[in-house]
Amino acid sequence: MADKPVYGEASIDGQPSKLASIPASDTTVWADASPLLQTACAGLRDGELIHGDNFNLFAAMSALEIMDPKMDSGIVCTYYSIDEAIENGAAPVPISLDSTIDVCRTIDIMDHLLACEAAWHKGHSLAQTVFSCIYLLRLDRTAPHALLHSYCRIIRATCKAVVSVVSDARTHEEEDLFTMTYGLPLNGDGDDKCLSILNAVEETISRQLRACKATSSKRRLPEDLEPLQSNPNLEEGFCKALLCRLRFRKHFFHVLSCMKRPQGRGLESARKHIASCLTELESILKSADFLRSCFDESCEGDIDDKTTASGFEPIGFDAMLNSRLSAPTPPRAIKILSWKKAVEYFVKLLNDLDVICSYSLDPQLESLLRFVVLFQKSQPDLVARSHLQILNHVNIVEQLLLVQDGKLYGRDPFFAVINKAAALPEATKNHDIQKNESFLQLGMVIANFLNSNGVGNSSLPNKLVMNLLKILCTNSAWQRRKLGKFLQDWRVIYVQLELAFRNEYGEVSSSSNDENTCMKIFQHILLWVEEQTYWIAFRFLILGFELELYSTGEYCMVYWYLYAVLIKLAEKTHLMMAVSHDTAKRKGKKKKDSPKDLARESRIPPAVLFLQCYICLAEGLTMMLAALRNEIPVFHSPSPFNTEHEKFVQHFELLQRACIPDYVSYSSYKESTTHARFSTLAMYNYFKDAQRIAKEVKSSFSNDPERLAELRKLEQVAEHNSVAQNVICRLGALDPSLKVLFEFSHHPFFATVVVKRS
Amino acid sequence: MEQEVGESLIQLGNSDGSNSSSSDPVTRVRKLLFRRMLVGIKDGRFFLGTFHCLDKQGNIILQDTIEYRSTRRSSPSPMEQRCLGLVLIPSSCQNSCHVDCSVEEQLSLLKV
Repeated sequence: MADKPVYGEASIDGQPSKLASIPASDTTVWADASPLLQTACAGLRDGELIHGDNFNLFAAMSALEIMDPKMDSGIVCTYYSIDEAIENGAAPVPISLDSTIDVCRTIDIMDHLLACEAAWHKGHSLAQTVFSCIYLLRLDRTAPHALLHSYCRIIRATCKAVVSVVSDARTHEEEDLFTMTYGLPLNGDGDDKCLSILNAVEETISRQLRACKATSSKRRLPEDLEPLQSNPNLEEGFCKALLCRLRFRKHFFHVLSCMKRPQGRGLESARKHIASCLTELESILKSADFLRSCFDESCEGDIDDKTTASGFEPIGFDAMLNSRLSAPTPPRAIKILSWKKAVEYFVKLLNDLDVICSYSLDPQLESLLRFVVLFQKSQPDLVARSHLQILNHVNIVEQLLLVQDGKLYGRDPFFAVINKAAALPEATKNHDIQKNESFLQLGMVIANFLNSNGVGNSSLPNKLVMNLLKILCTNSAWQRRKLGKFLQDWRVIYVQLELAFRNEYGEVSSSSNDENTCMKIFQHILLWVEEQTYWIAFRFLILGFELELYSTGEYCMVYWYLYAVLIKLAEKTHLMMAVSHDTAKRKGKKKKDSPKDLARESRIPPAVLFLQCYICLAEGLTMMLAALRNEIPVFHSPSPFNTEHEKFVQHFELLQRACIPDYVSYSSYKESTTHARFSTLAMYNYFKDAQRIAKEVKSSFSNDPERLAELRKLEQVAEHNSVAQNVICRLGALDPSLKVLFEFSHHPFFATVVVKRS
Repeated sequence: MEQEVGESLIQLGNSDGSNSSSSDPVTRVRKLLFRRMLVGIKDGRFFLGTFHCLDKQGNIILQDTIEYRSTRRSSPSPMEQRCLGLVLIPSSCQNSCHVDCSVEEQLSLLKV
């Protein structure tokens, strides 16, 4: 950049030559000020500063402190640059002239790269993990070393594929360090050929393995082949250790590319590659014993902390070379996972991916939502969650939103959502109504409504569903916050749809059959939106238990609110089911109403009974907690910081703002809980109801193992709590030493009540 | 090394006898505020920024700072640079400190 050297005197004064490349302005020079500053410092009083008018101590606090390892990412450690490191032999190619040592060190590099990759997936920057590898930073240099070259190439291609999945999925909001790749040589030419290069190397090594096995069994060599390295005793072990590492990379890369294929066409083959990956990981773990035994010298320290299977420090890594690339953030302390932990991480990741691949791509929104929630229970990491999101996005949602045969609405996803999710499909699709004028009018109403809301196209409800899925794929803490805010969007849609429809059709009670059908469709849409809203509210509340946001003193109000939301959810679900049952029946060309049919209709559907079981438990816990608070002074201990009302607002503000459910407030909470007494509890046991319903409804879910397991848990909680309630009712008021504890031993969000005498 | 340079510069000024500015050093440093200052530190980097603040311990705060570093220990160039903004350079790691001034100013301003 130097347009002119600093100044002529530089050499005369013997200025350090480095200054020559940093120019002063045209007419000025660099004059040494250090002696003057020194004397000035001596003249200052303690705490006195020399500063200008614009100085602000508070702002000065934010200055980056140079040479502070926590703030200064530019500290020069060993090397000034990658090139200098290479010139100093930090990353030699070949690694050693002794072929045995060379192979050994290559395996170390592979292992350390695996550990780096896991650390990256776990949230550190790419620059300071995988790309701390000098070989990767200058990949072309490794070309003569086929083994190292092929491995580094596939690592780079894999990183690129993972970055693209995560950034496409955009589930990483709080983990956005993940996709930062500035300045890293992630895009290399010819990485599309990485698999063929890897295959060639793998082929060579497996021939070498065959050859060495043949020699040991005294057979003639079928092919004239150089051995992998010079020590024949170790040949087999090394070949095997390398093969499983190479094959793992190959299959992992295949997994990633299969999962990307549209419409879930690659999922089946992805599962096969996942199984192969897991097998190779097992072999990799097994190879550790051999690698540790092949040299006499053993390394110091605990082997479980090492980042390589052999326990040796890997050659060719320097995390500091790159740390400036992670600017402007201050450098973070990086702890690369141990090799063992890294292998464990990949096992978990692959198992999570397998769960995703096993999903049947059911185009039913409800089952999709349930699947996503279930998947989140195993707390998958970012990479797995991103894959789920991509799969949702590319396959399921498109399928869900675009499954349409009518030409007019085929490109209009909104109707597809309603058709599929609001249980209208058969009736509307086959009905003449699609060609009907009133139906066209309905389309206009919705289009107008959407236009008037500034959406411009009919993608708003579409967006709501997509956003819901997106939110459900994020980590729990983020998810809860987002869901809470998201509730308002659903509420607004509901209110505006309702308004739009009412304006269009008024209070028509026209006898026209078409108009009636249109009205029905409105009702379905509104009902569906409401059901989704309460489902989101329910999820929002129970995520609070998972994140441990509620304290024991607040359980009463939380269960009370949960109860209120569940009642609404059950009501809407029931209505939805009745409506869809109705639709289905009409499709069936109206058989004669047999008494059997009538009996079936009057029964409550199992899905609603399932919710009923939740309701009983929530109500039971609310009442028990309220009674304890009202009758035993120990339980009524107001916090010195927040009043109960304030806590109520803190927890449910987002729900209250969206009016979910309507007419629910702190005062209605107080009203329904102030009169709870042990005497009333003794008369009515909600837990018994819950237990009974759970028992009854189990048979309806015999082919749904997940809900069956849930019901079993509910039954256990209900049984325990029922007994505990009896004990409390009999002794509570009399025995002041009675201790009541709440544990989540049987169910993640319904507490088991434990009574103890202290 | 830079220290020697500074001393030689001062001696030059003294022998010159042109003792034009006799005010105390604190006042003279105050006059350097808002000037471009180049601070070298022990690991070989240089920081070029606007002189913002100095405390009794000799810690310097620069504004709008650019970091310069060479890509090799042995040779001075080529230089790599990046912007850092507001930085605090503790006196313990300072190696050299230069200010940008005209040749005429140079002698009078920096005399001790």
